[in-house]
Parts: sequence; structure tokens; C-alpha cells
Amino acid sequence: MAREDSLALLARGEIPERYLRNIGTIGIDGQKRLLESRVAVVGAGGLGGNIIELLARQGVGFMRIIDGDSFALHNLNRQLLATERTIGMNKAVVAAARVAEINSDVEAHAVPEIFNENNAVELLSGMDVVVDALDSINSRLLLCRMAQKLRIPLVYAAIAGFTGQVGTILTSGPGLEKIYRKANCSDKGIEVILGNPAATPALAGAIQAQEVLKLLTGIGETINHKLLYFDTELNIYELLNLE
Amino acid sequence: MQIEVRLYATLRRCALAAAAGVLTVDMPEGGTAADVIAKLGINADEVHILMVNGVSSPLTRVLAEGDRLGLFPAVGGG
Repeated sequence: MAREDSLALLARGEIPERYLRNIGTIGIDGQKRLLESRVAVVGAGGLGGNIIELLARQGVGFMRIIDGDSFALHNLNRQLLATERTIGMNKAVVAAARVAEINSDVEAHAVPEIFNENNAVELLSGMDVVVDALDSINSRLLLCRMAQKLRIPLVYAAIAGFTGQVGTILTSGPGLEKIYRKANCSDKGIEVILGNPAATPALAGAIQAQEVLKLLTGIGETINHKLLYFDTELNIYELLNLE
Repeated sequence: MQIEVRLYATLRRCALAAAAGVLTVDMPEGGTAADVIAKLGINADEVHILMVNGVSSPLTRVLAEGDRLGLFPAVGGG
């Protein structure tokens, strides 16, 4: 079934069976909004793989998946789309193929390029939400600046070890400079020391997917002007006030 | 004055004797967050998020008796 067919059913108040378990939470209108939405996921590694999988199942109508990197053996411990078969393949291309397997209502546009200042406007323009699933601090800062400039909400997360931090950055609120304070900040954080075990990107990525869902449907409250910080080593889950 | 300091993630390794990274530091009146960080022997460049009583604050924040100071390193993985 194509997206137009699902939208036609929803317009008549009927529920495509594949979305039956979504409707009690987001309603028919919510599902319709998702199918009509456009989301850019920047990065298709640990965070991105989980986010893309979840948004495809939830039924977000269009995803632009941006990643210039290819899967390597050291990605296998945590990156959902890294398999022994996909080693050496571009991450964005693999992700788009995975989306096509999950949900033919979803149009997935693979961009096998590194996100940078030159392609930022072209890649983000027209998106309803941008998702930060990058793995370098300077790229994150650039993405946040560009999303705020283009007035597109950004769903952010970063991970290291047992630790993750997740938040939604609105166009008018504080940006990532509240989280990465140093002007000459190193490009990497403590993940260089701690690495990234299997479950941490799944946990942070799932919360990001819920933030996208709330932004697109207008349901609930996003984590804006705040940062959800978790450290599962010590069972710490805190909302930090970034004002 | 006494300041309750909570160290997160790798910063806990700067105070291994502190259970779960929580410790109390005795500071002179007028001490700042940066002074506490220096007293603990932590490189201030490693501190990216700094919370005082649950609100994001600068290194120059002057502390008061009983303040709770949270120090977080940069997390950047994806």
C-alpha cells in the first residue's frame, strides 16, 4: 500500500491495519499528520539507526537520511543497521533500504554525504523536524545553528558509556552552546574514553523518536529548554534546566 | 561554607572516594564554581554543563552555603 492509500483511508476515518496500535496514543489525526511530515535524520549510526527504524514503523511519511560514512566492524556492537552483510556499505543507503522493507508508506531519501556548511541549507530546507544523530561536537553545533536559522525544531542526543543526554531545541530557545560551552571545544567527548555499549544509543534514540512524535502531532510536552540526562550505571534520570 | 558537589560520568573519577560521585566541599565565603573545580583538581575545560541548584550556571557563579553544584563532562557520541 502506498502513502496516498493510507491517507485516503485515514481521511475516511478508517485505520490502515499497520497503524492499528498507534491510534490509541496519537489518534487518526496524529497518524495523518505523521504521514504528511518530513523529517531529516542527520547520522545513521548508533542513534540514527534506532531512530530511523522507529520513525519508519510509526509512519513518518518522508525521511531524509544523511550520512557520508560506511559501516565498519566496530559499529556491529550497537548500530542497528550494521550487520555482517552491510559492512563497507554507506549508512544512509542501507538505512533507506531498511525503511523500504519496513513501511512502503514512507519515502526515504538517502544522502550519502557528510553534513557540512555547504550542503546544510539544501538538505534541511522544507523539513518539519531535524534529528541530530551525529557523532562529533562541531557538526552538532553547526546543525543546531542551521536548524535555528531555518526555524526548524531540532531533536538532539549524545551518548557515551552508560550516559546519554536528550533534548528538543526550539528555534527561539537556548541552543547547544548551553551544553558545549567551550569556544574551542574538542570535537569529541567522553565517548573517546568510555566507548558506546549496545543499549545506550537504543535508549537515547528511542527518546528522540518520541520527541519527534510529540513535535509532529502536537501531543504532550517536549523536553525543550531542558536536557534529559541519564546515567544507567547509577540509575540517574534527571531533567536539567538550561535556561 | 559547605557546597554539595555531584560529579557525573568520567568526572567521578576525579573523586574516587566519593560514593556515587557525591561529596561535600568546604569553601571560603565568596567562592565560585570555578574555585570548587580547582580545589577538586578538575581541569575546568572538562566541565561543559554546570548546574547550581538545578539551573545551568557559569563558572563564575558565586556560591552560597548549602548550594548544590553539578558538574558534567562533554558527551558527544552517536
